[in-house]
Amino acid sequence: MKEKFKIALAQISCRREDKKANLQKIEEYAKKAKKQNAELVVFPELSLTGYTVRDEIYELAEKIPGPSTRIIEKLAKEIGIHIIFGMPELSEKTEATVYNSAVLVGPKGFIGKYRKMYLPTHSVFEEKRYFRPGYDVGAFETELGKIGLTICYDIFFPEVIRLTRLEGAKLIVCISASPAIRRTYFETLTTARAIENAAFIAYVNLVGLEDGLQFWGGSRLIGPNGNITAKAEYDEENLVVGEIDYADIRPVEIFVPTLRDLRPEIFEKLKVKTETL
Amino acid sequence: MNLTPSVLDLNWAEAETKIKRFIKDYVENSKAKGIVLGLSGGIDSSTAAALSALAIGGKKVLGLLMPEKETYNKRDIEDAKLVAEKFGLKTEIIDITPALEAIQKTIPAFNPEDKMCKGNLKARIRMVYLYYYANRLNLIVCGSSDKSETMIGYFTKWGDAAADIAPLMDLYKTQVRKLAEHIGLPREIAQKPSSPSLWPGQMAEEEIGIKYETLDLILYGLEHFMKTEEIARQLGLEKVTVDKVKNRWKSMEHKRRMPLTTKIQYRTAGFDFRLPHHSMTH
Repeated sequence: MKEKFKIALAQISCRREDKKANLQKIEEYAKKAKKQNAELVVFPELSLTGYTVRDEIYELAEKIPGPSTRIIEKLAKEIGIHIIFGMPELSEKTEATVYNSAVLVGPKGFIGKYRKMYLPTHSVFEEKRYFRPGYDVGAFETELGKIGLTICYDIFFPEVIRLTRLEGAKLIVCISASPAIRRTYFETLTTARAIENAAFIAYVNLVGLEDGLQFWGGSRLIGPNGNITAKAEYDEENLVVGEIDYADIRPVEIFVPTLRDLRPEIFEKLKVKTETL
Repeated sequence: MNLTPSVLDLNWAEAETKIKRFIKDYVENSKAKGIVLGLSGGIDSSTAAALSALAIGGKKVLGLLMPEKETYNKRDIEDAKLVAEKFGLKTEIIDITPALEAIQKTIPAFNPEDKMCKGNLKARIRMVYLYYYANRLNLIVCGSSDKSETMIGYFTKWGDAAADIAPLMDLYKTQVRKLAEHIGLPREIAQKPSSPSLWPGQMAEEEIGIKYETLDLILYGLEHFMKTEEIARQLGLEKVTVDKVKNRWKSMEHKRRMPLTTKIQYRTAGFDFRLPHHSMTH
C-alpha cells in the first residue's frame, strides 16, 4: 500500500441526461489528472448524468457493474489511475429502484460502490422522491490505502463520516452537488469532519447551472489537521491536484486524540434519543 | 432573527455575477440569438436590461419601448433611452395605442371605466409584441419581475410576468435598487418611485398601501418562516398589517404557477410530471 500519493479533484459541470458527453469529459479529466501524476481522480455527485434530472432518472439509472462502469473501468485500466464518480444506480433485483451511488474503480478494475445514506428532501432537494437510501457506509481496501466514500448531505451527519473512519478509511471522499447558498455549511463541515476524525477529506463539488441552481465548486483536499492543501476555484471547471501523505495523520492523532477519546456508551444513548426525537 | 434593513444586504458583486452567469448560460444553451425585453424606464426593466447587456453584450439585447397615450410619460422614455445608450442596447419604440384601441373596439363587454381590466390589457398587449419579436428573431424574452411583486402578486397574470427567464425574481424591490446602483444605473432611475403605469397616476406604494422598505422586511420574515406576530412586533406594525401581506402572499400563488388542472390520469403536468428544465426558446 502506498503511504503517499497524488489525488486530483476534477470539478466539472455536466450535461444533463447526456452520459456520452459526461463520459467523454471524465476521460478527458482523468487523462489530465494522470499527466499531473495523480493516482486517484474524483468527480462530483451524479457526474455521469447531471444532478437535476428529475423523472428522467429512471431512464438514466444503470446497474453496477453496467455499461457505464465498464467504460470507466476500461479507462482506469488503460491509463492506470483510480477513479471515483457518481451515478444513479439501478438495484439488481428490481426494475425501478434507484440509489444515488459513488463508484470506485482502479487500474485492476471495479473496487466498490457506496449508496448515499442521507438523501436531502427539503428546500430545492427532492432526493427521497427518487432514491432509496443506502444502509451501510463504504470503505474499500485499495493500493492507495483504505478509501471511504460519502456523498454530499452525508457530511451533515458526523456519524456517517465517523463510522467510515472507524471502518479504517484514512481518506474519506465526499462527492457533492451543492448549490451556491449552501457554501458556508460545506466549507465549515468538511474541515470539521477532517479534524474530528484525524483523516483526509477530499470534497469534490459540481459546477455549472441546472434548472436555475448554480453549483459553487470550491472542491478541496483537507488534511487531518484541518488545513486545506488543495482548493479549486469557485464556480468554474477546474482540476487541482493535492498530495496525501498518511504519515500526516499520526502527529495529529496524538496532538488531538479524538479517536482515543471516543465514548461508546454515548452512542447507545444517541440511538435511544434519536428514536424518540 | 432581527428584522433590520441590513438583513436585505447582499454581496452585490456576487449577485451581479450570478445573474449574469444565469442569463448567459440560458441564452447560450437555448441557442437563441439574444434577448428581447420591455423597457419602461422604471427600475426593474432598466436593471434587467443592463444586466442582460453586461451578460451577453448590448448588441444582442433588444429593448422595446412600448408607450401608450393615456400613461405617456416623457421622463420614462428618456430614462429608457438613457439606459439603452449607457449599456449599448438596441431599441425600438412601438406606440401600442392603436393596437390597444383596436382591441378595445372589438370587445363587446369593454368598459372604459374599469381601469384595472384596461390596464391589464396594456400589459398583455406588450407581451404579444415581445413574443412576436422573440419568435421572429429567435430571442429569449427576459422578464423583469422582482421578488416583492412576485410574492404579493402585484403584476398582470400572463402580462408583464410572461417571460422565458426572470433573472430578478429572487431579489426584493429594495435589493433591485441597490443592485441597480452597483452596476452603474443612474441614481435617479434606481431610486425612482415604482409604477406599473397601467393607468395615469398609478403609484405602486400607494396602491399596495405600504412602503417597499417595510414590505420587503415583512416578506423577508415570511420567507424565513417567521410568525406574523413576531414580524409585526419587530417592525412596530399592527399584526393586521402583516397578516394582510401574508394573506396576499398566499392567495396569489395562482399567479405564480401554471394553470391548475384536476388529476385524472397516470402522470399530470404541474402535479407529478417532474422533468428537468432545459433552456429553450419558444
